[in-house]
Amino acid sequence: MASERLDGFFDRNAGRLFILPAVLLILTFSLFPLIISAWLSVSRFKLGRDGFTLSYIGELNFKKLFTGSQQFHFLGTFSSIPFTGWLILIVTALLIGLGIRQWMRSGRLTVLGGIGRLIAFGTIAALAWVFASTMQDGRLGSLSTTLFYVVAGVSLQFVIGTGLAFLCAQDIRGRSFFRLVFFIPLMVTPVGIAYTFRMLADMSLGPFSPLWKAAGFGDFSWAADPWTARLVIVIGDSWQWIPFIFIIMLAAFESQPRDEIEAAELDGAGPWRVFRDITWPSVAPVAATVVLIRIIEAFKIVDLPNVLTNGGPGIATESLTLHAFIEWRALNLGGSAAVAYTLLFVSTIVCVAFFQLVVRPMRQARGQTG
Amino acid sequence: MTVVLDRVSKSFGRVEVLRELDVATGDGEFLVLLGASGSGKTTALRMIAGLESTTSGRVLIGERDVTQVLPKNRDVAMVFQSYALYPHKSVAENIGYPLRVRGQSTSEIDRQVNEVASQVQLDKLLGRYPRQLSGGQRQRVALARAMVRRPAAFLMDEPLSNLDAKLRGHMRTELRRMQHDLGITTVYVTHDQIEAMTLADRVAILEQGVLQQLGTPREIYEDPANLFVAGFIGSPPMNQLRGRHENGRFVNSAGTIDTGLQRTLDSVTLGIRPEDCRIVDASQGTLTGRLYALELIGDHVLASVTLDGSTPQVHTGKTDAFITADTFAVKMPKDYSAPIDARVDISVAREGIRLFAANGERLRR
Amino acid sequence: MSDRRLGEMSPLTKIVVYGLLIGWSLIVLFPLYWVLITSVKLPGQVGDGPDYLPFIDFTPSLHAWRYIFVDLGSDTFRPYLNSVIIAGASTVLAMAVGACAAYALARLHFRPRLLSIGLFLVCLGLGVWMIGSGLVGWPIAAASGVAIFVISVLALSRVRSPRLGNSDILFWVISQRILPPVVAALPIYIMFQQIGILDTHLAIILTYTTVNMPIVVWLMYDFFAAIPIDIEESAELDGASRFRIFREMVLPLAKPGLAATSLLVLILSWNEYLLALFLSTARAQTIPLLVAAQNATRGPQWWYMSVLIVIMIVPVVLLTILLQRLIAKGLLLGAVKG
Repeated sequence: MASERLDGFFDRNAGRLFILPAVLLILTFSLFPLIISAWLSVSRFKLGRDGFTLSYIGELNFKKLFTGSQQFHFLGTFSSIPFTGWLILIVTALLIGLGIRQWMRSGRLTVLGGIGRLIAFGTIAALAWVFASTMQDGRLGSLSTTLFYVVAGVSLQFVIGTGLAFLCAQDIRGRSFFRLVFFIPLMVTPVGIAYTFRMLADMSLGPFSPLWKAAGFGDFSWAADPWTARLVIVIGDSWQWIPFIFIIMLAAFESQPRDEIEAAELDGAGPWRVFRDITWPSVAPVAATVVLIRIIEAFKIVDLPNVLTNGGPGIATESLTLHAFIEWRALNLGGSAAVAYTLLFVSTIVCVAFFQLVVRPMRQARGQTG
Repeated sequence: MTVVLDRVSKSFGRVEVLRELDVATGDGEFLVLLGASGSGKTTALRMIAGLESTTSGRVLIGERDVTQVLPKNRDVAMVFQSYALYPHKSVAENIGYPLRVRGQSTSEIDRQVNEVASQVQLDKLLGRYPRQLSGGQRQRVALARAMVRRPAAFLMDEPLSNLDAKLRGHMRTELRRMQHDLGITTVYVTHDQIEAMTLADRVAILEQGVLQQLGTPREIYEDPANLFVAGFIGSPPMNQLRGRHENGRFVNSAGTIDTGLQRTLDSVTLGIRPEDCRIVDASQGTLTGRLYALELIGDHVLASVTLDGSTPQVHTGKTDAFITADTFAVKMPKDYSAPIDARVDISVAREGIRLFAANGERLRR
Repeated sequence: MSDRRLGEMSPLTKIVVYGLLIGWSLIVLFPLYWVLITSVKLPGQVGDGPDYLPFIDFTPSLHAWRYIFVDLGSDTFRPYLNSVIIAGASTVLAMAVGACAAYALARLHFRPRLLSIGLFLVCLGLGVWMIGSGLVGWPIAAASGVAIFVISVLALSRVRSPRLGNSDILFWVISQRILPPVVAALPIYIMFQQIGILDTHLAIILTYTTVNMPIVVWLMYDFFAAIPIDIEESAELDGASRFRIFREMVLPLAKPGLAATSLLVLILSWNEYLLALFLSTARAQTIPLLVAAQNATRGPQWWYMSVLIVIMIVPVVLLTILLQRLIAKGLLLGAVKG
């Protein structure tokens, strides 16, 4: 009797028991540290004789980053906006305009939706402006550098990854061979990739040095120029993550609705039309999701900038995580937490915005539940 | 054991799926819940099983109120429409699973599995896996799994609907036989009225969550409680004519029929089954019309007639439950023939007349 | 499987397609090849300029391998073992916790009250403030926080409040992934230091589990939802408890998903660098840290590094091939509904 009641207890509370470990883990190692971190970001850490002290200083840490002595490190060095900078601003404005128009058209204008979009578009506009204003001479701060990694990296990875997947989805032999080979870069530790690419990119000792010398770059050191340094990091990051996009997009291409394609071909549609009207709409939700996953991960990049270039030249390749890490090593806990929190905010706003404005509509267009 | 649904209601949010359903089976009875999709019949079955909770009302199995009891403690076995066989277990393991869960010894489990397997002719297939079985074999595995527990009641959710027509007929007979031998109360859900009529001791007809009629197959066929039941049961469905009733007669644009009922009504529906009508020589019948079509069914001919004053259109009701056609169906001997569009007279047997009020309720004398 | 998607390909198109694919294969394989031959080069050779082919351009030597395995011996073995233990344990744990949570979210219904969540956050903030202001030690603060929460929830249990649902909980769990580890790394470091388990396997295992568990939930949720529910209902009627159904019905049928997800989580844990750097100093050092440590002040020790990279990749590649073979052979496929 007693065991039956105990049994019943387990069954009735099965849901809570199943989810309890996960919730506990998140509360202890995610939520709790988050709150502590918030508190750290508004304190000053001082190492004393018998331990440390934490004193409340309000928003001073943040002020230092945004307008104070660390502004060059975090936001960058401001100067006039170059031509490419204006291009970026125009494109951003267009995208925001598109977003607003889409919202107006949707017919469901809520206060929450309005506030959310205000925050999202405002943040994106601000980020674009900071980037464009610090572009000249490549003196970006860690914030803009991280944005560069995210935008340039994910775009490159998506284009190549989807392209490869599309090729592989054709009528070819050896697809499983390609699948396995293309998967390998995901298995390598990022630190290892960093060092490998350092070796490869070495102008004098690397395998490509004859090429560099022949092209006249023999004396050029990629690690000394901010933009080439960033480029190398993007290349390394892409080498590792293109396989991820490849594998998922390949699965998406392979599960296209064959009936629709055959019907379209019978109706006389050429390959371009088939791709545009049938293939792309069916893989778009997957594409949006995989891009979101990549964006989420890309914001956290640290291994490559740390090991490949040590954040250099100067601070040119420092990502926000690396910036926070450096501050931590310098025992500036408050500043470190402030940088980390800004990363959290920017990352969350961008990711949630991307999810709401891109992923969800694409999924709903396909009839999948949000 | 008896199964009782005591004024059971069920709502999903604001959608009311079952309204005050009151059904009680006898011990060992084969009760069929008949209705179209959306009628609530599957929900009612799942509430007996405990897979759905009740919004109000009680469920009783035997004398026990099981409304709050977990499904696994209700001592009922269910055969699902998809059979729900465990794909990663063999036939023997599938059948023996309920016993294994209860902790019986391996030898005991084997013995009972073998016994039940031979009852449904599965003894040669015990080592196979579900994906290696045909539809009929899978269904028998599902049955065997339900039988091995000797539950207080069997619950069946359209178990024959995935079989092809010929196999379905065969399995119907087998099911009836098996249930009779075992004597276990069975609640059976279907949308197929032929299954209901052939299998049931009693039939409960549901439409949009409301019980329309509870009776033996004969009762619901001969004595329908309302227009819905009348139109749902019977293939082809009962003919329905709208008209007025006065002076003991039903009056319609196609003719006049003596009914003997002494009531005056402005709007009344007269129902008569095709087998209670005859095409007769001119001016001997009470309804007139034109022959629309003739179908040779095999042992009889089905004649469709467009009555005077109506147009040849086929309407479907809100559900696909029945079709009211403005063509009038008449069962004729298999050698009957006549030219299409010929004028015909129809005579109607008085015992076959059923009258319904404007709200669909049956008018009894 | 392979149909004409754009119509039959002309020979020219075929050449282009194969060319591009093979080209990318070279891009993938060349860096790895370079690492491999670097691991058998002598320091002097590396300094002279690039040599491409072993035995032709240079004579390979196993000196680096000998150094890593023999000279360093236990200094190599210990991090390797640490990596194996940590990655293995955190994968198992993340799968266990994540799969249970994913199943619960897929099949069972949760309707937590917004009020309770609000109360919880308030108590959490209260606890943190108590610790921070130094009034009481953290055990007392934690205990009182929990106590206040429980009491307030019970007291207000009759108060009506809007409720959240499964999809909200799912979103919350998955969105943990957005949290950059560096934000939580400091506080976790302090937490572990206070408890005294810094630089132990347990510390890193717990952290990795928390970080990877959202991925498990995300992926397994779809797999579990795809299992036909009437199999579970049938088992329920047959008398099985919820745990039994999960163990005997759901998990066997979700084997392919479990395999793929575990591989992904294993790779992530095996290769992780930042948190391991934060949370370990000597005893719990993992292989990626050892790789980074080869960057001595004299300059990067390319050859030693290459050896380490190779021995890091090999087990993962083998595991992947093994799993792919299992999937192809149908050992995992046997679980799919027939």
